[in-house]
Amino acid sequence: MDRTNIKKWLKTPDKMSQKYSLWAVYFCTGCGIIEIPPVITSRWDAERFGVIPVATPRQANLFLITGYVSLKTLKAIIRTYELMPDPKYTVGFGSCPINGGMYWDSYNTIKHLDKYIPVDGWIAGCMPRPEAIFIAVTHLWTMIDKEMATGYKRYKENYEYYRHNQERLFGKLEWPPLYPINEEKTEGEGN
Amino acid sequence: MRKKQKVKGIKMEKLKDEIASIFKEIKVNIAQDTKLIISAKKEQVLNLLRFLKDKGYNHLALISCVDWIEEKEFELVYILGSYLEKGGKGHIILKTRIHRKKPKFKTIIPIFENAEPYEREIHELFGVDFEGHPRLTHLFLERDYKIPPFRKDFDTREYVKEVFEKIPFVEDKK
Repeated sequence: MDRTNIKKWLKTPDKMSQKYSLWAVYFCTGCGIIEIPPVITSRWDAERFGVIPVATPRQANLFLITGYVSLKTLKAIIRTYELMPDPKYTVGFGSCPINGGMYWDSYNTIKHLDKYIPVDGWIAGCMPRPEAIFIAVTHLWTMIDKEMATGYKRYKENYEYYRHNQERLFGKLEWPPLYPINEEKTEGEGN
Repeated sequence: MRKKQKVKGIKMEKLKDEIASIFKEIKVNIAQDTKLIISAKKEQVLNLLRFLKDKGYNHLALISCVDWIEEKEFELVYILGSYLEKGGKGHIILKTRIHRKKPKFKTIIPIFENAEPYEREIHELFGVDFEGHPRLTHLFLERDYKIPPFRKDFDTREYVKEVFEKIPFVEDKK
């Protein structure tokens, strides 16, 4: 622990402890997942930055989406995201979740991930180097400090819209809404 | 350089003559010593597959489909290999053409059981109906498409514009 930060620790212990222990869901999508095993093991050792992968989303608060997202994967991503406890942070990894990347005209790959779940930060590149993950993690620290990483709050506030966007792709989802939905607020223009 | 190996089991030339003598109106070519390319009519395919299975080609490696949009036909391609000594090291590519307008073909599950997912995949991506298949449901896709997405007349860009681009950003909706 850095002694110069002791004031900060005493002032906001919750924030400080959140930011130095990020638990990542070990969720594999697309080609970017190839970068994750060297990052979490001895070569780059993500534990220096407090990032450890865990098996279940119930114990995690960092969600790395590591590549293109097909419709089937998006369904799993939404479920995983909703299972994670607050506060939770999402980072899109690689260019595909940002705007589709090389799958920009694919029939089965979604183009903008942030239409369906909130994303706190992006790592651009195809593929990003493992070091880019650490830059993202340190960015996330400052964002947590300044209370800018508010994806989970945005999800709660605008849940109607997110759920509506999700249902435009899948039809009716088979799980109940995470937060109560005010029916009058959404416009009835389903797909 | 790859050394030329002595091919055990059945010789390709022999098999070619045998097929040409049994099945009428059939095109058989040998490519690269160990590859036999057969183009058959669709009525002959099931008998040919049974015949080849008896000859030792007991492994169905793949079924694929090609969309020949200008000729208004689909081409089904069956690729057979062998795990038995009598089958040798070669493999066989069996091609057949079916109509594009109402694509129908018989299932080959009674001969090769592992054809089930391949036929489901072709049904989903090309819209070919396999008669006698126990469950022709979705294999990979989540949505229903008006035109099956691997057909040549499926316009992916238009589909992206219609479906993905029309979904608004949440920030814009507020």
